[in-house]
Amino acid sequence: MFEILKFPFVQNAIIGGEVVAVIAGILGPLLVFRKMSFVSVGVSHGTFAGIALGIFLGISPLGTAVIFAIVLGILIGFVSRTGKVSEDATIGTLFAFSMALGIWLISLNKGYHPDVMGYLFGDLLAISRKDVYFAIVILAITSFWYLKRGKAIIYSSFDEDFSKIVGIPVELDYYLFMAISALITVGAVNFVGVVLASSMMIAPAVSAKMLSKRFKMITFLSIIFGMVSIFVGIILSFEFNISSGPSVVFVTTTIFFISLLIKWLKNIQK
Amino acid sequence: MNELLEIKNLSVTYDGKIAVKNVNLKLELGKFHVIMGPNGGGKTTLIRAIAGLIPYSGKVSVNGTDMKKYRKSHSIGYLAQRGSQFYDMPLSAIEVVEMGRYRFKEKSNERRKNALRFLEEVDMISRADYPIGDMSGGQQQRVLIARALATESKIMLMDEPLTGMDPKSQSNFYEMIEKIKKKHGLTIIMSSHDIGFTTAYAENVFCINRELVPHNEVVKLLNEPEVVKMYGPNFRLTKHYHLHSEENDV
Ligand SMILES: Nc1ncnc2c1ncn2[C@@H]1O[C@H](COP(=O)(O)OP(=O)(O)OP(=O)(O)O)[C@@H](O)[C@H]1O
Ligand SMILES: [Mg+2]
Repeated sequence: MFEILKFPFVQNAIIGGEVVAVIAGILGPLLVFRKMSFVSVGVSHGTFAGIALGIFLGISPLGTAVIFAIVLGILIGFVSRTGKVSEDATIGTLFAFSMALGIWLISLNKGYHPDVMGYLFGDLLAISRKDVYFAIVILAITSFWYLKRGKAIIYSSFDEDFSKIVGIPVELDYYLFMAISALITVGAVNFVGVVLASSMMIAPAVSAKMLSKRFKMITFLSIIFGMVSIFVGIILSFEFNISSGPSVVFVTTTIFFISLLIKWLKNIQK
Repeated sequence: MNELLEIKNLSVTYDGKIAVKNVNLKLELGKFHVIMGPNGGGKTTLIRAIAGLIPYSGKVSVNGTDMKKYRKSHSIGYLAQRGSQFYDMPLSAIEVVEMGRYRFKEKSNERRKNALRFLEEVDMISRADYPIGDMSGGQQQRVLIARALATESKIMLMDEPLTGMDPKSQSNFYEMIEKIKKKHGLTIIMSSHDIGFTTAYAENVFCINRELVPHNEVVKLLNEPEVVKMYGPNFRLTKHYHLHSEENDV
């Protein structure tokens, strides 16, 4: 089965996908612990409107998706923080709108019908070298951010007041976090599609959370689970000729249930 | 002249509603001050204003330096009323204490060593790597005190640190605070509902019910024969005491 690794597009998908798994794995635990899992759902669906806009204007859908996602991410943050409603409630309101907008924009394209299924559920064949570079750029940005602001964002997730007391710019960090989350979500959308990108961000982190009580360990496991999911998922996608999104999600969900089982068995032993 | 933390005309409003009104206080540095008052009396609000966590009108200064300026060079030790920490976040005790070292530029092994030093002061060194979410309320409180100490600030604000502690833990807590205060020369400003222990340890008690309750009234109240009888310094059973909220009695 590994002869498929010889195909350049499979190589692109795997290399790029693994890079995305690493960044999603870093961010996922923060989203989960801040109870902001839904942010990735909201933003990923929001990118669909961005993609549609790019197609409509005849420019790079990836570019418009990035801009759209970051604006949406910061907007979600702004509404949540100033309106004192949870991020999830804000997203519930905004993401249906962006899906509707996306579908409407796509339907305006009379002659040309883009591969909507591919955007929604991920299309292995569509992944190019450019997408790999895109993933690497996001990895570089995320790593830089995590190195500089990772500790501060962990601290303010634990205790915002005390973080302010020790001089952490909590507001600024929050918006940066939203922007980075949005950027990473676009990266995930690019490989597994709009509908399933959030699974890439959240499922590995939730699985890891069940297996450890140490933040560093959880982040580490979350990265590993994401990487395994991408690798196995892409091979399954090729072997069984299904979209890459669903096959990756099958793997993340399997890992989720195995973790649940392990946790359950551990509890019984106690 | 003694060194002072001075509060002048401090008022706080939430959405147009006044919560703390015209507070004027001179608090001697190096002393143990206790804020009392009924639920909703404005203790938390006052403490958060001093800490600079909420906007206020009026002026807070330390030895003449405006608090906003003071905070740029000095940290303030702060222990919030229960519930502002997010214990789901799986941090170990030592990681929590390291938060207090955020301002200090130090290498990670140095940071860990310092954090351990403060955990030792609150007798929690054996739990350094234990997840804080799995600790008892009293143990969590100790770790948070170590974190406040780790900032190396001279002023420590504590908002009802005794809530939920049994009398034995409360007296242990006071002993620990006394020791730490002496060792580091701290000014402690703490809110509490408990009259029994508080009056035994505090060097100054003031009372707020939206506005400050005049000092002589507080003293009178604390010296009421029944109160003395009930809550004398050796009194070991604690009760929550609430002042009646009478709008026009000040
Ligand atoms: N974030 C807020 N928004 C609006 N009103 C508030 C807010 N926080 C406090 N208040 C109001 O301000 C007043 C003072 O509240 P505060 O929490 O300071 O009292 P407290 O003395 O600490 O009470 P407790 O003993 O219950 O802790 C109350 O009437 C409260 O309803
Ligand atoms: Mg309070």
